[in-house]
Amino acid sequence: MENKLRAMVRDCLDKHLHASAIFLADKLVTVGGTEEDVHLHAQALFQGRQFRRALHLLRTHGLLHLHPRYRYLAAKCLEEIKEWDECLSVLGDYEVDQHGNYPMKDDIDPESGHQAGINIAAALCLLRGRACEALENRTRALCWYKASLRVDPYCYEAYEHIVDNHMLSSEKEVAFLSSLKFDADDRWLSLLYSCQAKKYGQISALESKLSELEREPQKHSNVGLSLKDNNDVLACRADYLYHRGEFQLCYDITKTLLEKDPYHLKCMPLHLGAALELGRKNELFLRAHNLVQEYSQRPIAWFAVGCYYYCIRQFDHARRYFCKATTLDGAFYPAWLGFGNAYAAQDESDQAMAAYRTAARLFSGCHMPALCIGMEYLRTNNLNLAEQFFMQAKGICPTDPLVYNELGVMAYRNREYEEAARWLRKALVLVQETRNSLTLCWEPTVVNLAHTLRKLKLYPEAISMYEKALALCPRGATTYAALGFTHHLQGSTGIAIDFYHKALGLKPDDTFTAEMLTAALTEECLRPSFAKELTALH
Amino acid sequence: MAAGASHRLQLRRAIRELRDRGLYTAAKWAAEQLVGLPEDRENVGPAPVPDEEDGGDGDVFLLAKAFFDMREYRRAAHALRGATGKKSFFLRCYATYLAGEKRKEEEIIELGGPLGRSDAVNPELAGLEQELTSHSEKGTLDAFGNYLYGVVLHERDRKSEARAVLCASVNTYPWNWSAWLELQALCTDPEILPTLRLEDHWMRDFFIASVYLDLQKNSEGLACYRSLHAMFPVSDYVLAQTATAHYNLREFDEAEGLFEELLRTDPYRIEGMDMYSNILYVKECFAALSHLAHKAVLTDKYRPETCCIIGNYYSLKAQHEKAVLYFKRALKLNRKYLSAWTLMGHEYVEMKNTPAAIDAYRRAVDINPRDYRAWYGLGQTYELLIMPFYALYYYRRAAQLRPHDARMWCAMGQCYENEQLQMFDAAIRCYRRAVNNNDREGIALNKLAKLHSQLGQADQASYYYKKNLERLEADQSEGQDVVDALLFLATHSKNQGFLDDSEMYCMRLLDYGGPAKEEAKALLREIRSVQQHASVLPSMDLEQFTP
Repeated sequence: MENKLRAMVRDCLDKHLHASAIFLADKLVTVGGTEEDVHLHAQALFQGRQFRRALHLLRTHGLLHLHPRYRYLAAKCLEEIKEWDECLSVLGDYEVDQHGNYPMKDDIDPESGHQAGINIAAALCLLRGRACEALENRTRALCWYKASLRVDPYCYEAYEHIVDNHMLSSEKEVAFLSSLKFDADDRWLSLLYSCQAKKYGQISALESKLSELEREPQKHSNVGLSLKDNNDVLACRADYLYHRGEFQLCYDITKTLLEKDPYHLKCMPLHLGAALELGRKNELFLRAHNLVQEYSQRPIAWFAVGCYYYCIRQFDHARRYFCKATTLDGAFYPAWLGFGNAYAAQDESDQAMAAYRTAARLFSGCHMPALCIGMEYLRTNNLNLAEQFFMQAKGICPTDPLVYNELGVMAYRNREYEEAARWLRKALVLVQETRNSLTLCWEPTVVNLAHTLRKLKLYPEAISMYEKALALCPRGATTYAALGFTHHLQGSTGIAIDFYHKALGLKPDDTFTAEMLTAALTEECLRPSFAKELTALH
Repeated sequence: MAAGASHRLQLRRAIRELRDRGLYTAAKWAAEQLVGLPEDRENVGPAPVPDEEDGGDGDVFLLAKAFFDMREYRRAAHALRGATGKKSFFLRCYATYLAGEKRKEEEIIELGGPLGRSDAVNPELAGLEQELTSHSEKGTLDAFGNYLYGVVLHERDRKSEARAVLCASVNTYPWNWSAWLELQALCTDPEILPTLRLEDHWMRDFFIASVYLDLQKNSEGLACYRSLHAMFPVSDYVLAQTATAHYNLREFDEAEGLFEELLRTDPYRIEGMDMYSNILYVKECFAALSHLAHKAVLTDKYRPETCCIIGNYYSLKAQHEKAVLYFKRALKLNRKYLSAWTLMGHEYVEMKNTPAAIDAYRRAVDINPRDYRAWYGLGQTYELLIMPFYALYYYRRAAQLRPHDARMWCAMGQCYENEQLQMFDAAIRCYRRAVNNNDREGIALNKLAKLHSQLGQADQASYYYKKNLERLEADQSEGQDVVDALLFLATHSKNQGFLDDSEMYCMRLLDYGGPAKEEAKALLREIRSVQQHASVLPSMDLEQFTP
């Protein structure tokens, strides 16, 4: 009889017939009354969302200290009812060091040796991390997440938390991953983890990792399995392309991915970001609408709406929706940056910086907020503070070319042109190391370097830089004007005049260019050789 | 005629291949040359139909081509998205390019108003460039792919690369006239032409001739077209280009005759007829111009050339507002229509609307920096605005393009005389060039004479006054210039002691009224007194001349 009941309860749980499961389990406890039966009853109650009752049941039967599994269920119940302090005390709040080592003797499941599946200790640590995070103790949360992965690398959720919340800088991520013990046939997992980590600084290595993951299974392959066309791997690839600035390719991948799996929320921010970069407002509009209908409680939906408004340059609205996304989930990184950017786009530095500061506090492993704060200070001409933040960003991520671009701009503003040239050159080197060619988004860096070289009176170099910039962006009126000015400084007024004309053709109301044109024309006409050329002309 | 027969076969094949790829302008041009060949006496049969490689996507290609012909470019490109054949690849890229162009045109109208500037660019360019570059690096682009790559590179302002790619295209497939035209647009400088590595082909001769005309090397161009005429004796295109060359050389009568012939053989021809209308305008043939305009309207009212002809007609009747209206319409139909921009600039100058004139001229030189009329127009406009430095620079550009055109030199001379510059030496040099280049209006001689006399170089002044007088006599014109010349010469001869000459000039001056007459009388009196004085001492002169 008891066995039949037990089987019935398990089957009901499988079929999600919660009320029947609770009813039958209750009878089972009365009839059989073993610890396992009580646990089963509690499981049924948990799945039927009767958390307090499940907790009470576990407590009255005094199961909490018998087995880690019972403790875990109790803590899960406390998590659901958001009693975090209690949750942590049930779990046992041990000392944990920053590498994730802790005395785990109480967590060890005596029977786990012959069981497949996630180690219960890993699950316990993960839950401790969640509780700490909810209690706003992020450092400790990170330690617990690390502990969880150290116990069992298959505990993906812990890793997801670390990566999504940007808890570690790129360097530390790499160090941590290499310290994890993966089984020999789990190479695919370690590869996938490292692909999902931060992209800066390891872009060249990523390509080979991704292609190793996508390779057809071979006899001697030690990857374990081939994940060709797996959605997560595709999302990694898209993220990688996004970081390389190849937005069109990224967009193509995310679009096909979302056709296959329209609710792959992990890849959604990436898709929205790429669509925003490409100015696909129509796509953003539809996507945002659908998301709001289907996932109105998730920040991603409102983030999408914000992106749409940002794309059509209605920053007021964009701000409002980014803000809504952050209130739904304070740990949604893209929305915070969007929030700050929307303020920055309206020249409201103070509010923008407040948003960036929050982001910097929440996502300490990410250099972007610090960089953005620096940019705002730079814009408001507060060079000292700007430098501090740029250096901070550089400390977190020494491989992002954008950091060096900003440092270069700052040095330029300080009139330290040698220094500026050094930073900007470094930025371009980094760009070219990771990407084979410069893309349009690095055109400003090239122009900056050209300006700097001009200030250093290295005119031929400056000219070749301007020409490079024009090859990337052929309709840059200011670049033409600057190119003309450089030729003018060199004394070749004839060429300068041509370029001034071109610049004025693209932007007729530029007073600087117009004035320089007049000056150049006067010089050219009064030049003694000009009159002599007349007779030489044929 | 073996050469003719081979040309015929080549052209027939080319027409089909070009049409297959949607290159209609080039196909039309090739067809025009095909019938321009001498009559087919040997009756070469139709060219054999070679099986072209489609890479197995024949049916899809047919569908895509049908979409393309219906101007549904994006649909055509989408239909070909998986196709691998070279022909399919080209059509897909070309359709994408045209879709982008279409969008660009729409955006210009939507955002920038009818003629306003707009920053609209073809949104497909970056993507196409990326794709074509990767194919080009792999070496998988055929001649048509290279042509499109060249077009894209040109629009991205990467001129030298574009030239190299286009040269490769025309060397492998010379019959694509559009590729040659694109290449011509990139030969902005006479020095570029010899650097191009072009293989010998009869299509190259067409190209060279056309480039010569574009670079204002009209006599050379004319010679080329003469030899092409031997090969293609009944080609309207060759005829029209010859007429253009004559027009550029300001040989209006020859050009007019050729255009008339052209209209006889092909009465519904519109291409080049704007040039004909320019000739009629210059010659002030009201009736013929009106007839041409009506005829063009009946053939095709909404062609840019037609609008331009009508604009010229109204301009000749001094109805400048209406003329501008029609030039604007021409430009609405084709924003890159060079001569409409220039002519509109002229109209604005007439209407004293200098900012609009400058804008129009600027647009013209943006499209083609070899349009000397626009440069000249810019110079004129800035001269009106009393900005001689600007004017001088633009006139110089015009003079560089047309060094044998006296008008440019005269204009430059005038700038140098301006009170802001006052560079008389340079002015004199300019006027001399004008004189050497057959200055028909005779401004230069008069100016030279006056300048020299101002600078106290009386000998030179008298030389030029004399020349000017000769010219004026030949023209049988009378006016202030004649009076000035006579007065100066009379005074100068008297001062030099050539009293007889002086007397002769004074006698002529007496025919004119006003203060000059009085001065002449005074001079004559002086001469008389000197003569009387001289007759007293005749021996001194003798002594001087005896060795």
